Amino acid sequence: MGLLSSVFKKNVSEAPQKPAAPAKAADVVQKVETTNKEVKPVVDKISVGYTHLSGCTGCTVALADNYGGLLTLLDRYVDLKYHLTLADVRHIQKVDVAIVEGSVCIQDKLAVEEIKETREKAAIVVALGGCACYGNITRFSRGGQQNQPAHESYLPIGDLIKVDVYIPGCAPTPQMIRNVCVMAYLLLKGTKEQKELATKFLTPLMNMAAKGTSACFCELMTEVINQGLCMGCGSCAAACPVRAITMEFGKPNGERDLCIKCGACYSQCPRGFFNTDVVSEYEAINEAIMAALQ
Amino acid sequence: MGAELGKYKQVVAARSADKEILKGAQDGGIVTSLFAYALDEGIIDGAIVAGSYEDDPNVESTASQNHHWRPKPVVVTTKAELLAARGTKYNISPNVSLIKEATRSYGLDKVGIVGTPCQMQAIRKGQLYPFGWRDVESSIALAVGIFCMENFPYQSILQLVEDHAAMKLESVKKMEIGKGKFWVYGKRGQVVQLPLKVTHKYEQPGCHVCMDYVANLADISTGSVGSPDGWSTVFVRSKIGDSVWAKAMAAGVFETQPIEKVKPGLELVSKLANEKITKNRNTLEARKTFGVGKGLRNPFI
Amino acid sequence: MSKVVEISPTTRHEGHSKLVLKVNDAGIVETGNWCSITPVRGVEKLAVGKTPEQVPKIASRVCGICPIAHCLAATEAMEASIKVEVPKDAKLLRYILQLANRCHSIALHDILILPDLYLPGTDVKINPFSPEEPVRSVAKRIQRLREIGQTIGQIAGGEAIHPSNPRVGGMYMNCSPQAKTKMYDLAKEGLVLAHQQMDFMIAVLRNYQKRDWVDVGGMKVPLPKDLGYHDQGYLATHPYYGSSSMDECPTWSLDRFKEVRPWDWYMGEMEITLEEPKYPIGGTTKLGTKVNPQMEACTGIPMYDGAPVEVGPRARLVTYKKFDEKGTIGQNVAREMEYTDSFYEMIDCIDALNPSGKVVADYIPNGDGTLGWASNEAPRGTDVHIAKVKDWKVQYFSMLVPTTWNFATCSAALTGAPWQLAEVIMRGYDPCVSCATHMIVVNEDNKVVAQKLIQQ
Ligand SMILES: Cc1cc2nc3c(=O)[nH]c(=O)nc-3n(C[C@H](O)[C@H](O)[C@H](O)COP(=O)(O)OP(=O)(O)OC[C@H]3O[C@@H](n4cnc5c(N)ncnc54)[C@H](O)[C@@H]3O)c2cc1C
Ligand code: SF4
Ligand code: SF4
Ligand code: SF4
Ligand code: SF4
Repeated sequence: MGLLSSVFKKNVSEAPQKPAAPAKAADVVQKVETTNKEVKPVVDKISVGYTHLSGCTGCTVALADNYGGLLTLLDRYVDLKYHLTLADVRHIQKVDVAIVEGSVCIQDKLAVEEIKETREKAAIVVALGGCACYGNITRFSRGGQQNQPAHESYLPIGDLIKVDVYIPGCAPTPQMIRNVCVMAYLLLKGTKEQKELATKFLTPLMNMAAKGTSACFCELMTEVINQGLCMGCGSCAAACPVRAITMEFGKPNGERDLCIKCGACYSQCPRGFFNTDVVSEYEAINEAIMAALQ
Repeated sequence: MGAELGKYKQVVAARSADKEILKGAQDGGIVTSLFAYALDEGIIDGAIVAGSYEDDPNVESTASQNHHWRPKPVVVTTKAELLAARGTKYNISPNVSLIKEATRSYGLDKVGIVGTPCQMQAIRKGQLYPFGWRDVESSIALAVGIFCMENFPYQSILQLVEDHAAMKLESVKKMEIGKGKFWVYGKRGQVVQLPLKVTHKYEQPGCHVCMDYVANLADISTGSVGSPDGWSTVFVRSKIGDSVWAKAMAAGVFETQPIEKVKPGLELVSKLANEKITKNRNTLEARKTFGVGKGLRNPFI
Repeated sequence: MSKVVEISPTTRHEGHSKLVLKVNDAGIVETGNWCSITPVRGVEKLAVGKTPEQVPKIASRVCGICPIAHCLAATEAMEASIKVEVPKDAKLLRYILQLANRCHSIALHDILILPDLYLPGTDVKINPFSPEEPVRSVAKRIQRLREIGQTIGQIAGGEAIHPSNPRVGGMYMNCSPQAKTKMYDLAKEGLVLAHQQMDFMIAVLRNYQKRDWVDVGGMKVPLPKDLGYHDQGYLATHPYYGSSSMDECPTWSLDRFKEVRPWDWYMGEMEITLEEPKYPIGGTTKLGTKVNPQMEACTGIPMYDGAPVEVGPRARLVTYKKFDEKGTIGQNVAREMEYTDSFYEMIDCIDALNPSGKVVADYIPNGDGTLGWASNEAPRGTDVHIAKVKDWKVQYFSMLVPTTWNFATCSAALTGAPWQLAEVIMRGYDPCVSCATHMIVVNEDNKVVAQKLIQQ
């Protein structure tokens, strides 16, 4: 499982069994608050909220699929203030970081209110997953379905509020979520050097958030191939969650009838962004994340 | 010699101790030997290499398209398959496209991958920023990079060989870039050399912004430049690379010579790396003002 | 006089839902309504005009908890419509994917219900995340079981959450012999763990069953022996997988299905007259709040042979294995019993898989508009998708998802229980609410009546 779990791997050596990974935030948080056993002080934690809009909960499952890593994060770094499924408190509260899953149905007053409230009460807003970043499958919504025929317009959250960080993909990966959580922690609570590292790491994700709310296979065409930048590595094809991309004579071919607009391909493409200074330090960053979790 | 060679723990001239591997290898057979050894030792349980379309029963050959020398990324798990994929194919093999599938339907836990410097960049970006590569990053057990000045689309190789070198692609035994020339060796013993200025127009455009010659981000990277014919220059770069290399050396997989003792040596590697970086930095500069008040994108933020 | 109490939102399950309960002086539920309050993305409608290849990918994204069921049911509904024969090894891969998802899902459900249950021999409720033994080992086992399920699913299905390998006419990729061995090893390990986990869970459930009272937010609530009993029927279409043919699966017929409005089924406008601030995590809804389940419900009420039915693990065991235990405990026991069975079945499928067999049909017709359906037994029950494909375009698409079936049945099962245990009964159904939100809700004039309501 890479960066963080390589820490755990060290502890458990060859054994395939990962350390216990209680995936529920509320109880962990509760445990910290009530028993205060073997856990670092809560004051060190960053507070995180999770707003669930029109998404499928797959992003939540991805978060939970950090298995052992999630527990460590919750034990030490993240105080989960609200979350529909994982915490029992669902009301939006003031937090350092709000993670948002799903897009906003603008015909649904309450969803609109929730996204605004999320923004007002959070220092950093993270759009998690294709739906929140780019609309994903909800881009195809066009209403007319019984029960709520008027629910036809779903917007990525960035069309209604300022978003700070993007984590595209459908579902996004547990590892990407974990890396952002650790970096967000370092950014808010770390030493000067850690803050710098976290800023550098998060910059491309902030740039993506600033760039816009639309992505699909077309980004590879317009921003990479048309710009004379594609070198045929195939990262995009490996990233696509619906196998919409095949490599034909070394260049990506997108089956646009399959594309669900998740944004994984373009964000994965090394010619989409490549921050040489950060990626070149991949070993050191790996270790930094390991140290943070040790 | 500085940043152009990237970070490394050691650099040597080396070649495989396995005669069978050397026979069909491009240079010192480093890539094939490393993977064969790693497979044997369980360091990897499979590797992504550039196989060929010719061997693929699912691809139909026609008179106009017979796929000779067209690489196809494949996952291999045996030495025989590794041997079949030896040698450089001078056109794009999107090896990274299999990085996720290798851990899925191929069932690998520890993946080896060979690739050009840009493919190593893709791998490392994917490990730090796995947007669409769930559960992939820690399965990458050995990434071997090959030096690269530029790459070509398949059509370019077809035209270079068939039009410029006047040879059928299917009768080519080996291609090589070295000593300032593009070399084509025929199966019947012909040798044709083309000056590199002929090849320039055929290069893949994306290569013109590439700032890495010697696969700085690989665990181990290798190429022919710097070492005598039949030998390879090898950089051992990461902790993983260091450990694999040390074990392979102890197991007698490679013969080595100090890089300082061989001709033309590291200086040539450094010179070529600097040439590439300078040329491509200029391209990136020129892209900024490509239009009128508008430029082209620079991916290296 | 009866009073009205509302638990909203309900917790420890997927999606937004709530419980509106009319209770007598003793706090026993007279009428209970469990309803979904999640918005509608209109997947059935946006599917029209798209290719039959894309729609299952979108359908999968209706719900991230049972995406496998939606992806497979949608793919197979398309296949039933265009009449394509899927190669045997592709079928096997789908079975493996299906069973892997079930194993991960049961493990997840264990995490969600454990906090309701007691450590045998004590009055201590189980916090699955406590570092103390024996709970820590159980938590480890649950996580490993989830990981095994997700990993096998990822090998057979391409991705752990939304599978990428299924396609109309088969699968994109077969598995290599190495992948087959890996799945086999994982399944073998999983089987051992599943046995232990099943034994543990059943022991804990039996212990719970024997109790006279349980603690809810400091209230000592008497535990009835018939917790969660109901007299509705059951519907299951296959012990593990599903079907798309009446010959194979005579239990499911579209003709016997009908959907009605929540208007006919749920209670109308009422005022909250009972508030319990001690109810865990923030208490129940405030006194005087207006509620209206008829209007607020976001799903219709599907009926089979004219009545709501239960779907899910118990329905499968009743239909295929002569299981007869009723109530919430019976339901949870049935789910645990499916655990080891899933692994046994999975191991058989892996054994039978030929890694060099073909996995895509030779000929994939474009479709002539025939109505095709496919059922899939999701962890939480029967998922039926219906499709018409003509000239490689989807003309009609509909999804009858498991939790929608269970809303009305569970509502019936609430009657007679102390209201404080309503959430325990509801969790027995392992609800997964977001996928249940596409369903039809119209009034007599075919006008939409439901309004989504998010609390707070
Ligand atoms: C496009 C290209 C340009 C190159 N430019 C230079 C250069 O300027 N200077 C220099 O010193 N070396 C260059 N090389 C590297 C050199 O040609 C040899 O590949 C390298 O020295 C390894 O040789 P070997 O004998 O160790 O490997 P072998 O044992 O022969 O194995 C080579 C491995 O590389 C894989 N491979 C072949 N073609 C490709 C491809 N197109 N993409 C990805 N993998 C491939 C094969 O499948 C095989 O596994 C270049 C290689 C390529 C592909
Ligand atoms: S991005 Fe994908 S996984 Fe996340 S909510 Fe949207 S559909 Fe679900
Ligand atoms: S990831 Fe980018 S550079 Fe690589 S093949 Fe795809 S578009 Fe080209
Ligand atoms: S092509 Fe694939 S990865 Fe790219 S946006 Fe579309 S679905 Fe996502
Ligand atoms: S020159 Fe650079 S971009 Fe082109 S193939 Fe080589 S490493 Fe890749």
